Parts: sequence; structure tokens; C-alpha cells
Amino acid sequence: MTMVIPIGPQHPALKEPEYFRFEVKGEEIVDVDIYFGYAHRGIEETFARRNYKHNIYLSERICGICNICHSTCYSMAVERVAGIEPPERAKYVRSLILELERIHSHLLWLAVAAHQIGFDTLFMLAMRDREHVMDMREIISGGRVHSATNAIGGVRRDVTREQVPKLLENLDKVERSVNYYINLFQTDRTIRSRCEGVGVLTREDAIKLCAVGPVARASGVKTDIRVDDPYAAYPNLSFEVITETDGDVMAKGMVRLREMVESVKMVRQILKEMPNGPLRVPVDLKIPPNEAVQRVEAPRGELLYYIRSNGSEIPERVRVRTPTYASAPSLKPMFVGGTVAEIPIVLWSLDVCFACNDRVTLVDANTGKARVVTMEELRRWRS
Amino acid sequence: MVKILPKVLANLLRKPFTVKYPYEKVEPADGYRGKPSITKEKCIRCWQCIRACPDRAISIDKETKTPVIWLGRCTYCGECAEACPTKTIVMTKNFEFLDQYEK
Repeated sequence: MTMVIPIGPQHPALKEPEYFRFEVKGEEIVDVDIYFGYAHRGIEETFARRNYKHNIYLSERICGICNICHSTCYSMAVERVAGIEPPERAKYVRSLILELERIHSHLLWLAVAAHQIGFDTLFMLAMRDREHVMDMREIISGGRVHSATNAIGGVRRDVTREQVPKLLENLDKVERSVNYYINLFQTDRTIRSRCEGVGVLTREDAIKLCAVGPVARASGVKTDIRVDDPYAAYPNLSFEVITETDGDVMAKGMVRLREMVESVKMVRQILKEMPNGPLRVPVDLKIPPNEAVQRVEAPRGELLYYIRSNGSEIPERVRVRTPTYASAPSLKPMFVGGTVAEIPIVLWSLDVCFACNDRVTLVDANTGKARVVTMEELRRWRS
Repeated sequence: MVKILPKVLANLLRKPFTVKYPYEKVEPADGYRGKPSITKEKCIRCWQCIRACPDRAISIDKETKTPVIWLGRCTYCGECAEACPTKTIVMTKNFEFLDQYEK
């Protein structure tokens, strides 16, 4: 005899609405259904009604935390459609803000994960260190969250020589505390008892269910778009793809923490090796009919933009596939076999971001009936 | 337990990491994109700002024939300030305001 526990749309783990339907036998989870679509905002349709330049700011608003990934990916996709190459310095500025975004996103992950396991001191500490990164972003882009730095054919703002010492100083602070967190994660009894052996995703499942980003890397799958399909300045940067083998929450946390150390190193390298030169190339936004796909390694995994142009200033179709969407099927093996108490931390170990995700519920306009689309249908879905 | 005591004492004695914000002002970094300001005398009425605005937040004031920004729609991206040839619109460092729609 199983019992059904509906969790959501209002949530124990997240501030975003999403519906999970858990079938439990006593305390053990037997099955889980995930219903997406509570944060649907019709963004892909809106893309096809505004011109290329205005769409940059729309793409930034798909997700607040990874807004730079979205705008960079969108701008690069449009550049690819139009067949233009941004200047070298612009590529370095893009990589710089992308890496800062990775650090702040992973620190936010650490903070909320600590909050989920009832370790609120670590929450406070991680949020304090995230503030240094936000200050760096404010110095570089003029905004704490939304950068508005990307433009089609380059970037809008430069990193000046006067800004570099302050950036390096903040980087040192971040690196010191990240190293402390790595040590803490490996030794602290509370964290270990809540995270080790919980929410395991095996290597086979990760490959079978097409997990992306830190989730796949924690299961031992060496996948990173920065290496597999290099973009921006990443071909010139030296860094290591972090992998762990266990696939549990602990491994997912360690991947993210160790990635932050790599990101700090990369930011230092970018600030040191940034070439001089122009920031933007002029672009004619009447793009002839063409199509392109661009991928970016967002903090949560692979982010994909598909753009089709039709000769006007407005794109005909923009498709966004966000990392949470790609990783969502791997939630099932992580949940099944676990206990109800593990739900928040296991859910958060995926670093879910539903604001990015929800663009795909179908509503039949004639009958006014909402139809829930299965994962299988969604995978084959074409506009 | 014993190991944690020196840390507790140190935490009790040091000053907090946070700033007492409304009483202690925090200056944002140079180049911060805050409330856009409009100097009406400089405007040459080219309306580049209206074309550049991604949110259609800029409209024309009927009396003075100069741009006005609806701050409720504005996303503070700074495209209008970049597009303006006479620097009529500039982004200020001011972030402490309420948005009001002036007709």
C-alpha cells in the first residue's frame, strides 16, 4: 500500500513553484512524478516579437542567477547566425563575467544547501562571501545582478586598469573562504551525515538520462561545454574539468566547490592575459535567413540557444533549452529509494532553477484545457 | 565544545560584517546603472533613446517635447544613455527612489 504525498507548487526547498508527486511506502519513496509549468511566462513567443538588440535584455530576464549565461549565449548565437566574429578583448570580458557568475551561483548553491540541511551558520558565511563576488560584478558591469554587458558583436563595457586591484583583492577573499569550505565539507560531521550516500545518481543513469553540468560530473561523466565545444576565451585558458565518482549529494557539492577554485584561477588568468583592442564590431541587424545553435556551460550545465532568422530585424524562432530541463529526468533515480526527509537536499543538489525552465506547458486555446506534456513528448516537441 | 569557545569570544568582540544601511550610506561603484536623469535643455529630439529602449519605457512629453522615462518599466540597462548623442540621458548612481509614473 503506497501513499501519495504531493509536494509543491509551494515548496519546502525552493522559492519557486513546481509540483512533485511522491509515492511513498512508509518513509521510503517508491515513485516520483514531476509536473513542470507553474512559472510559464511565454518567453519564447515574446522573443519572436522583438528585435535582436532588445531580445538581449529579454534573454537576461529568463533567469536572474544565470542571466549572463543567457545573454552571452543569445548574443553568440546571433553572431553565429549573422556570421560575425566578436573582437578578442570582448571574448575575454565575456569569459570574465561568466566565471564570476559561476562563482556566485555555486556560493548561492552552497548557502541554500546548508540551509536545507539545517546548517544556517554556513548559510550566513556563504552569503557573506557571495557579496564580494556581487561587488566585483557591480564594478565590472554596473549592476549587481543584471549585467547588461553583452551586445551583439561584442560587449558594452570594458574592464579598466584601475578596477583590477580591487577585483584581485576580492578574489583573494573568495578563494580563502572557498578553500575553507572544501575542508569543512570533507570533515564536518553534520554535512557528511546528511550528504554522503544520499541521492545517488550512478554513472550509467547519468549517461542514460542525459544529465548535464555538475550533476553529470559528480557521477564521473566528463562533460563540460567549455572543453567540448569551446566558446569565448576558453580555448586560451587553462583549467581542469572537475569530476567526482560517487554521484551523491556530497560529490555534487564537492564538484561545485572545486569548480569555484578553478574559476578563481581562471579569473586571475583572464585579468592577467586580457589583450588590448576594440570591444565591439558594428553589426547590421537585418540578418538574412539562416539558423544556428550555440551552447554555453552555465553554472548548472549545458545551456542551448537555437535561433532562426528570416531576413528582418526580428528572429523567426528562438528556442532555449536550460540546464535544469536537461537534468530534470535524473531526479527520479536520485529520489527513488530514499526517504521523505531527504527530498529538499536531493532536490537542491540538482541546483534546480525553475524560472529558467518553464516555457513548455501546452494549453489548448480552443477548449481552454491545459494538457500536461510528458517528458517523452517534450523531447520530441518541435514548433 | 572547548575548541569552539575562542571563536565564540572572537565573534562576540568583533564588529558585524553588515553595514547599518539606512544610517550609513553605501556608495555604489563607478559606472553604476542607477536612476536615469534627463537634462531637457540638451535634447535635440532625435528620439534615438526611444528606438534603443528594449522595454518601451520612454515616451514623449507632450508639452516640452522631450523624452520621459516610465521608471516602472525601465530595466536600467543604460541603452538610452548609450544611444543619446548629446548626453541628455545619463545613468546616475541613485538607487534610492520609488518609481512614479508622471503623465
